[in-house]
Amino acid sequence: MTLVKTPPPLSQEVDLSKTYDAVVVGSGAAGGMAAHVLTEQGMDVLMLEAGKKFDINQIGQELRSMQWPYDHPRRGDAPPGYHSLSFNEYTVRNPPYAKGSTFKHVMSYVGGWGGSDYVKNILVDEKDHPYTGTKYAWVRARLLGGKTNIWGRLALRLSDYDFKAKTHDGYGEDWPIAYADIEPYYDRVDRYLGISGVKENLPHLPDSLFQRPNKLTSAEVKVRESLKKMGRVLTPYRAGVTTDGLKHNKYRSKCYGRGACDRRPGGCDIHAAFDSPTGLIYPSMDTGHLTLRTNSTAHEVLVDKNTGKARGIGFVDTATGKSLEAKAKVVILAASTLESARLMLLSRSPQYPNGIGNSSGHVGHNFCEHVMGPGVTGLVKEMVGKPPTLDDGRPGGFYIPRFRNLKDKQPDFIRGYGFEGGSGFGIFPGSANGTPGFGAQFKKEVRDHAGAFIGLGGFGEVLARYENYVDLDPDEKDHWGIPTLRFHYQFGDNEKKMCQDMVVAGREMLEAAGIDVIGTDDQILTEGWSIHELGTSRMGTDPKTSVLNQFQQSHDVKNLFVVDGSSHVSASCQNPTWTIMALAWRSCEYLAGEFKKGNL
Amino acid sequence: MTVTRREMLAATAAALAAPLVAPGAAKAAEAARAAGVAPKFFTAPEFALLDELSDLIIPTDAHSPGARVAGVATYIDFRLSESLDTDQQAKWHSGLAAVDTLSQELHRKAFLQGTPEQRLAVLTKMAAGEKDPKTPAEHFFQQLKGWTVRAYYSSKVGIHADQQYKGNVYQRGEYAGYDAK
Repeated sequence: MTLVKTPPPLSQEVDLSKTYDAVVVGSGAAGGMAAHVLTEQGMDVLMLEAGKKFDINQIGQELRSMQWPYDHPRRGDAPPGYHSLSFNEYTVRNPPYAKGSTFKHVMSYVGGWGGSDYVKNILVDEKDHPYTGTKYAWVRARLLGGKTNIWGRLALRLSDYDFKAKTHDGYGEDWPIAYADIEPYYDRVDRYLGISGVKENLPHLPDSLFQRPNKLTSAEVKVRESLKKMGRVLTPYRAGVTTDGLKHNKYRSKCYGRGACDRRPGGCDIHAAFDSPTGLIYPSMDTGHLTLRTNSTAHEVLVDKNTGKARGIGFVDTATGKSLEAKAKVVILAASTLESARLMLLSRSPQYPNGIGNSSGHVGHNFCEHVMGPGVTGLVKEMVGKPPTLDDGRPGGFYIPRFRNLKDKQPDFIRGYGFEGGSGFGIFPGSANGTPGFGAQFKKEVRDHAGAFIGLGGFGEVLARYENYVDLDPDEKDHWGIPTLRFHYQFGDNEKKMCQDMVVAGREMLEAAGIDVIGTDDQILTEGWSIHELGTSRMGTDPKTSVLNQFQQSHDVKNLFVVDGSSHVSASCQNPTWTIMALAWRSCEYLAGEFKKGNL
Repeated sequence: MTVTRREMLAATAAALAAPLVAPGAAKAAEAARAAGVAPKFFTAPEFALLDELSDLIIPTDAHSPGARVAGVATYIDFRLSESLDTDQQAKWHSGLAAVDTLSQELHRKAFLQGTPEQRLAVLTKMAAGEKDPKTPAEHFFQQLKGWTVRAYYSSKVGIHADQQYKGNVYQRGEYAGYDAK
């Protein structure tokens, strides 16, 4: 069995008296990619991560991917005292959600996905990390690798339908790049990290360089065939998972189709699913050019009074509470869309009274993401009573790419949405919760129907709007005394209309395939639920209306880069992680070139 | 990051409340004693009642063992024993008491003193308000069934004997399933 047994590399000694070539704040997809590209170019990089470090063995013990529910004393639940926020709590209250809670620890809703014990040390404790303002389900993971430790793995490319969306429908802004600019970097991400999927030749969802795909269930094949007649596509989940293995990476195994990643909030203890530590950070450490400092919560980009350039990062050592400084010639923010915006807004100085890089006043604004919740559930009649098959040994079910507002023009909304879905037998017969009655008949009913359901849920583009934004709360502070974010963010009419269409279109597609629709969800989940927050420091050509140029470089401060989802100009409806990494690769290659030329 | 759609699936297929009488099981308290474990949270009579109720909800049939063999009552007892939620703990005590109260009303005897037919009649009455519970016994049915379902289908018996789940294995060669052609 090719389990990963390679020990993590030893970290370089942190030397805060040294001026590093670059300091990277954050160790998720964006920070990891920055470290990879810059260390490969020979730059000496210091990475600051706010959370703790789990080494490769500790994270494995945390995730316990193959543990059977009955081998866990609480069937995967965290011990008493832990609480995961529910949809209802996000709905009836405003943040800070953990304020006044009688529970010792409060986690975001992700803890409630059948396995809070596996993420209790990965998700932040909401008690220590409050925020205020409008309702928002903000999911954060503070540890080495951030949210990549448990991400949903759907790895999609954007297209010129996204990058040039304004040209297409007149709304918002175009990105300062086109697909052709980023395509070579998507290719590199595919090859370096591994991705599985099936080529479909769609102009609006470009293919990746796929390793072997995951398979479909018979019900999914049926829907795929039916959709062909409608000019739509159901394709196996495009997963950021190496299914064939990666010869150049000794920390990651290939995927054995264990399905562990989809039974829980996520995570893969053999690291076939991409995570930043094994995919990017450990290999970067092996170059000898990466120094890592965990438990280091950044609260300020330090500015050189004479030059106005960034000179490093002020941070709190969360273990000791001490305030420290890290010095560097280039500062790279990769702390996540919302944390990077918070850090820029916190970095007020005489030169930058509105926060660093914020002469446009756009930092925190044009905040966007994906709206989700609506979907349909179908009963595949011919599957009722069929003997169980292995259907969930895969990192995800299927994806139905966007089909709205490509060639057509919808009367009620612009942009589009895709569906994620799944079907077949799983480890827990979810239908048991909704099957009425009791006794032998109930038990048989559950057994006969366990593998007969198919479900799909929409993920739609939330329009980037200036009036959707975050700023700093004037009063509220986190556990370390750092001012928190305040949300001013709500879905608008376009999103609501789009969500109505998801239900209609979902029903239509299942019924066309001869599947009975037995349930529809029209409820929109709380803002933030998709965990795809984007925007807040968008790229653009005009320094008056954008924060970054096409290389994610601050218009105002040339040695400051923001390489995470902050930079996205619009949300698209495709999941962002692969685009975050392709963009970071492109920008950091440019950064290294400029650095060598002495231009930063 | 996505919510697994599978978790949102809810069957609304019309099912019927015509349960078969569970095969004559040993007295529940005896079963608990036989297992050599004293309940941690419930009293012995409460535990015996819970054990019987859970096994009526998911009984042994020709296909697989039921909730008693799966240790459903033992699991619920353990979770409640360490719970910090005193409201929830109180609901279990009062819920089980409501079952006996209902049984007294219907048959003038405690639930476990009833014949199999009488027990079935009590549970059927408790389950009648499943969609919109009103009486204490109807509310308790929801709670009881929810926990029984979770505990049974996450048990060794539920996963392997009943569901015959095929996953959580290393697939060394081809992945199971069908190609997207």
